[in-house]
Amino acid sequence: MILGWYEPVTFQEWIKRTASFLNLGLLIFSAVVFFSEFRYDWCEQLLGNFLASTNETRPEKGAIWELGKDTINAHQSLNKIIDRKSDTRRFAHKAASFSGISARLIPGEWVILEKEQFKRLYLSLPLTHARQIMEPARLIWLLNGEVTDRIFCEGLKNGMKIYFINAENRVVQHIDLKENTLDAIAEKQYLEPGRLEKFDGFMGRIYPAEQFFKAVFKLPQEMIPDLLPDTDLLLDQEGTILRIGISNEAKDGFIRLGIEIQHRNQPGVLFVRAREWAVWQLGLVLKGEHP
Amino acid sequence: MKPLPGILSVFRFVFFSGMVIICAAVIGAMFLVFYTVPDLPKLPRDVSRIIETPQSIVYDSSGQVLMRLGERESVPLARVSADFINAILATEDHLFFQHHGINKLRTLKALYVTLFRPGRIEGASTITQQLAKNLFFSFEQSYTRKFKELLVALQIEATSSKEEILEAYINQIYFGAGAQGIEKAANTFFGKSARELTLPEAALLAGLPKSPTAYNPFVHYDRAMKRRDLVLQRMVNTGFITKNQAAEAAAKAPLLRKEKQDARSGSYFLDALVRELIQVYGENVVYHGGIQVYATVDSRLQKSAKMALAQGLDNLDTMIAIPAGKTPRPQGALVAIETATGAVRALVGGRNYYNSEFNRATRARRQPGSGFKPFVYYSAFASAGFHPGTVMTDQPVTIPVAGATDWRPQNFGHRFRGDMILKTALTHSVNTIAAQLVHITGPRAVMETARKCGIKSPLDDVFSIALGTAGVTPMEMAQAFSVFANLGRHHPPFLFWRVEDAFGRILFERIVQDRQVLDPALSYQVVDMMKAVVETGSGRTIKEQGFKRPCAGKTGTTDNYNDAWFTGFTPTLCTSVWTGFDRRQPMKDANGLGITGGRGAAPIWADFMLQALAGEPERTFPIPENIRFEQVDPVTGCQAGPDDIPKSTVIALKTGQTVCGQEKP
Repeated sequence: MILGWYEPVTFQEWIKRTASFLNLGLLIFSAVVFFSEFRYDWCEQLLGNFLASTNETRPEKGAIWELGKDTINAHQSLNKIIDRKSDTRRFAHKAASFSGISARLIPGEWVILEKEQFKRLYLSLPLTHARQIMEPARLIWLLNGEVTDRIFCEGLKNGMKIYFINAENRVVQHIDLKENTLDAIAEKQYLEPGRLEKFDGFMGRIYPAEQFFKAVFKLPQEMIPDLLPDTDLLLDQEGTILRIGISNEAKDGFIRLGIEIQHRNQPGVLFVRAREWAVWQLGLVLKGEHP
Repeated sequence: MKPLPGILSVFRFVFFSGMVIICAAVIGAMFLVFYTVPDLPKLPRDVSRIIETPQSIVYDSSGQVLMRLGERESVPLARVSADFINAILATEDHLFFQHHGINKLRTLKALYVTLFRPGRIEGASTITQQLAKNLFFSFEQSYTRKFKELLVALQIEATSSKEEILEAYINQIYFGAGAQGIEKAANTFFGKSARELTLPEAALLAGLPKSPTAYNPFVHYDRAMKRRDLVLQRMVNTGFITKNQAAEAAAKAPLLRKEKQDARSGSYFLDALVRELIQVYGENVVYHGGIQVYATVDSRLQKSAKMALAQGLDNLDTMIAIPAGKTPRPQGALVAIETATGAVRALVGGRNYYNSEFNRATRARRQPGSGFKPFVYYSAFASAGFHPGTVMTDQPVTIPVAGATDWRPQNFGHRFRGDMILKTALTHSVNTIAAQLVHITGPRAVMETARKCGIKSPLDDVFSIALGTAGVTPMEMAQAFSVFANLGRHHPPFLFWRVEDAFGRILFERIVQDRQVLDPALSYQVVDMMKAVVETGSGRTIKEQGFKRPCAGKTGTTDNYNDAWFTGFTPTLCTSVWTGFDRRQPMKDANGLGITGGRGAAPIWADFMLQALAGEPERTFPIPENIRFEQVDPVTGCQAGPDDIPKSTVIALKTGQTVCGQEKP
């Protein structure tokens, strides 16, 4: 067929061929397509519908999706903080000791303690240690009056801080609880290893247990609790009391006594506080000057 | 066969080439579409829903909403003024209801201009295309991004009605000044809802999205109005309004809601607050977490601070004789801290946030000059056993400096007054005596006192520290002076009391703890001396301006008048004011006289404190039990006899301290 084709040789032939049904049809079709697109936007609609059909297979990306993800991430972060706080609060409310709470709190983290909860934990301590944390009289003022609104515990690197807060969010009292103190209380390791001579302030004022207690019992009965107020701690100790040292320094009306105890061939010293005036009376007895 | 006529040959070539090019273009376009589709973003089911994100809210100290972060308040079309809808259609895409996502003629024209007229860019984006761009694409200019944007626009048109598209568009466009969406914009600029917008207001807003910063009416009102007139003209051209209506609207100048300028990052305080929140919780939580933040700022005080600083700086302009519109102009900062807690009650970091976002209150380290002397005097009291009645001599001083030339400090005014007690020396800000004190105590003692009071900026171990040569921020100065006001108790400054999540669960709560860092009695002695500064010394402008409450403070001026300070306090509020040029240059008045802290900063302080404490009961400074007062001769330091009373001065002495050269600290 193609071999039989020849190029038009006259102008009429050109016109005739150009205006053939096929060519005119093609031209009209092209024109219809072109102008209908401008009139009806079918190409945009076709493309739009095609894109809509692929929508589910496409990735969730772009500014608005990122915003959505940011929102989800923000909520996740907040929930994490809140969950951690709730867990810590639950844990703190069930905790049996201050050291338990301290172990749970990471530095900077805080938890609110109920007054009753604090009281329960405080009372669970041996009186001697409870006193070291805070004088019972002060605690009565803090907890039984209107002074304290809330109690905050804040985790530190090596322990925790307890804040008593009033209704204006102002700290009225705070306590530092060091990790080693809490551990010692938890493990009942009240004895400092070594003999009395190892510690400052006792030299020349160390007495054998027998001499010391004999002197104690020469004092009036009502004076003895002021001399040995921490009997709970002493009675709790295993081993034998060998010697007692009286410190040469007084602080806040108290004098430190060092009680040397031998347990399983290991000497250790337990420190207790005695009233200054009672120790002064005892000193007179020990020197044989007591009336 | 005759050869084909030339013209027909050309025609044949053009025809077939055209056919080939068109076919290739169609095939190429199809290929491009199929190639691009997998990389296009997925569209949410409802385009208008996805723009709703939870907002974080910041409240002031009285519980009023200060700012909403990440807010996108969506309103249905029915609740938007028809004038605004017409204005935005006329401006952005008047054929919006006729096309299906693209305006082909405008696109072809824009393509022609972009390709054949280098340097000229013509936009042809329809509202749908703009929506597609804002929702899914970055602002990167590239043909690929443009093509993708076009495809997404086609899909949006195919799946959403015109009303839905328009609603999504007007709810997410940015109008500037922190306003995203028409409801927020109407509220930010005019204090009303989108439904209540009048034609002049609607036209003004419709002109903003083109360039929210350049047309921000809070900053460039005239420019925004010109743009508004253009919008009105387009509304006339597109048949939305008549020429008369346009003329009527053009004659009206919409009133802006001025106080909303402080909304969002329009405020130095909020900027500092958001910065701190982001440091603690991260950007996501702050902007998208819906947290509730209870800030320390008192809106009334903040307004007073802003007004006082603006007024004071305008007065400085006049003093310096800077013609209107000329730059640079002196800047300023003001920080007010509640002495009992450390809560920042007002903070302004410059003249105008919109012109300069640099927060001078928290970030500009400027030399405090004599403002540093209270730390020197306290150090001398604490480490050398001096007291306000100790006598020293104002005379030329030479202090040897190891490895450098001797230090010879000069007094302001270059004159020496001879013997005087320390209270007088601080009252009149005598440099030579401060220099002798630092020589006695050593710079380290002064640094230590400043550190205890909360100064964290780098301090050099040099004698000149006594004259305030180390740069500090106004926030630090306010914090440090409030330690004196508190008789030695320090509270770090803070910007928010509490942070909660959207359900009211507490994330953070501020507790206030007093930390006694300075001796109460010695602190009181410094306070008593600073009271004299305000009454008879370099800060007497305070009393002259009508501030009669008990207060204390210290002026500060650097050698070349680059910085003018006044930091002072009442028993409840401590405020520091700094003024100076950003690029260090002297502040001198029209007569060539340098502007001191007493002239430049103290009037601003007084103006602010008068407003801030209006209606508050007057309080006196508490006096420690171990303080007693003695009437002494200001030259000899000895007890004043009955005849000497008129020229005597009262000093505060701590128990154990005696006067007349018999100091027993």
